[in-house]
Amino acid sequence: MATTTERQPSEKSRPRDLLSPQDYQEMLAQLYLARYFDVRLIKEKKRGRLRGTLYSSHNQEAVIVGSLFGLRSDDWISPIHRDMPAFFLKDARAGWRNKERIGMSIDEVCGQVWGRATSPGRARDNWSHIGSTRAKIIHSTSMLAGTIPAAAGVVYADRLNGGNSVVLTFNGEGSTAQGVFHEAINFAAVHKLPVITIIENNHWAYGTPTELEYSLPDFARRADGYGIPGLIADGQDVLDVYDKVMTAVEHARAGHGPSIVECKTFRAYGHGDHDDDRAAKYRPAKEVDEGRRRDPIAIMKANMVKAGLMTKADAKKYAAENKGASEVHDTDFPEDVVAYLTEGVTSALKAPVPSAEEGAMWVFREDA
Amino acid sequence: MASLMQTDATIKKNYLTALKEAIAEEMDRNQHMICMGEDIGLLGGAFGVTDGLQEKFGTERVIDMPISEACIVGAACGMALNGKTVMVEMQFIDFISCGFDQIVNMTATYHYRTAGEVAVPMVIRGPAGAYGGGALYHSQMNEAWFCNSPGLKVVCPSTPRDAKGLMIAALRDPNPVIFYEIKELYRKREIEEELESGDEAIVPLGKASISRAGEDVTLVSYGQTVWQCLEAAENLSKEGYSAEVIDIRTLVPLDQETIINSLKRTNRLVVVNEAPMTCGFAGEIMARISQEAFEYLDAPPMRVTRMDTPVPWVKPLELHVLPSADKITEAALRVCKF
Repeated sequence: MATTTERQPSEKSRPRDLLSPQDYQEMLAQLYLARYFDVRLIKEKKRGRLRGTLYSSHNQEAVIVGSLFGLRSDDWISPIHRDMPAFFLKDARAGWRNKERIGMSIDEVCGQVWGRATSPGRARDNWSHIGSTRAKIIHSTSMLAGTIPAAAGVVYADRLNGGNSVVLTFNGEGSTAQGVFHEAINFAAVHKLPVITIIENNHWAYGTPTELEYSLPDFARRADGYGIPGLIADGQDVLDVYDKVMTAVEHARAGHGPSIVECKTFRAYGHGDHDDDRAAKYRPAKEVDEGRRRDPIAIMKANMVKAGLMTKADAKKYAAENKGASEVHDTDFPEDVVAYLTEGVTSALKAPVPSAEEGAMWVFREDA
Repeated sequence: MASLMQTDATIKKNYLTALKEAIAEEMDRNQHMICMGEDIGLLGGAFGVTDGLQEKFGTERVIDMPISEACIVGAACGMALNGKTVMVEMQFIDFISCGFDQIVNMTATYHYRTAGEVAVPMVIRGPAGAYGGGALYHSQMNEAWFCNSPGLKVVCPSTPRDAKGLMIAALRDPNPVIFYEIKELYRKREIEEELESGDEAIVPLGKASISRAGEDVTLVSYGQTVWQCLEAAENLSKEGYSAEVIDIRTLVPLDQETIINSLKRTNRLVVVNEAPMTCGFAGEIMARISQEAFEYLDAPPMRVTRMDTPVPWVKPLELHVLPSADKITEAALRVCKF
């Protein structure tokens, strides 16, 4: 029987080899954008301008950017609470401000974060609980792993409709103990559905460490039980995530069915911003220091210098890496990143709050 | 296979055949309809409601699913995102609990949380009800769980014509519908009737029917206990009381008007449901009537329900905890003599 490690893509021909220098620049820019979104929101929250809980994606940006980067416009995704940047990074290669791209605009995402009527769900559920059939993003609930069955259904129907899109579902390692996680991947495996299950393994499910969640040295080995490939990616290295996810995407697109891609990463802060102080106590300081040390922006810059795509001097510019949210400033980010997000924030602050009566609307569709 | 689609209106047919015809006709009419469930294809369903369906419509549209109720419901939601209408069979309605989160949190709220962007046309149907020795896990009427979850319609027919007509209406409704089929009625000869097809067969959701007209007391129910109410009405006529029997047919949305119009004449109410008493749907009807039509009541309304127990296996125990025509008659007499 093939082992998990044998299914890793070969070093000689990797999906990244087909990327252009411009693609590398764009990937780095997206890492900055994801990081800036997070630190800006942490600051806005501290100023008291945001409602609800912020689930920081700080230090996990490479999983989001690397997973989405190679998708086609017509592919679907199912992000969860720690993947807020995924909503506006989907199909972002088609142009961040391109209104035709199959993803959400920064105005829509900020409209949601600020609870405004410009949110795609008119701010009826909070934060990451948005989606859009137009953008091909599945709407999640708080019941984690709960959208994997829907993801399987989406691509089953797409195949019947003559399409060949794939779907990426994002999941923390904590949600892998849920029954629907098993039920949905089993169903997808039986029907060889193009469902790629990304595990953002950040070692902590809220306040519980991985060794109390499952009993495997590498979670990816769970895939063996479904007879599907299980790949492992360095979740801090956006290029490695890209390679492994694209290997799974190509496998799925060719009709061979689902894969699990375990991205090993580390949660920089608490489960949510309400948990930051407690997380500093329940997580050993040494583990936190080590986990935060491998910053995805720094790793990408080093890779680009090594590949001759960036000078060492340029790599020193925009030094957002290895800084906590309170230590980093707007000047540490590329100007276009700050400008793009500022447009979103400005638009959200100007947008109206939905009227109170909307609370009782849309329980049923009335055009029966 | 032709027999699946041909409906001869001059032949009396049973409740199960009615459902089978409704599903097959809709599969034929709506190319975007999918059926999912356990053993529904190759086997044709545990009770045979989907018998012949896979042969006619293929394995892609009639899917034999792994034993994973939550996945079945969730996958149906995903199919709805890509334009499909899905019929989901629960092998027994008792097993719906395994898919509970996907029904109440994922499916029921989809339209609401997307501000109307997404509608989920899905019918979750399955055999329900007691009196057959099915014991705790093959006898339930758990409709109250779903009536208490905004975003779901809830249906329970008592006759073959209603079974077919409501099923067609449910499969054409843009909202998720939980459809309770009474398995004790599936092959009951005495209730067979002639059936229409397609549009002519439709029974709209949210409309009650008057199963028997009367003047002295109104008996309100749905599903299997409608037949007990009709038997009780016979008993009551021997005692000199004329009972009206209303079959609400749809719990959500509820046709309150038909009940209130009846009470304007009878001024007396007994509500019957097969489910346990506490927080059961009979209590909901009584609460609404107390609030909206108190002035028409000449006696306190009564309800006849299952005791607040599970459904036990052996017959004497089972019958002891469940409603019966005698129990309904007794309650109606108390209301009439108040």
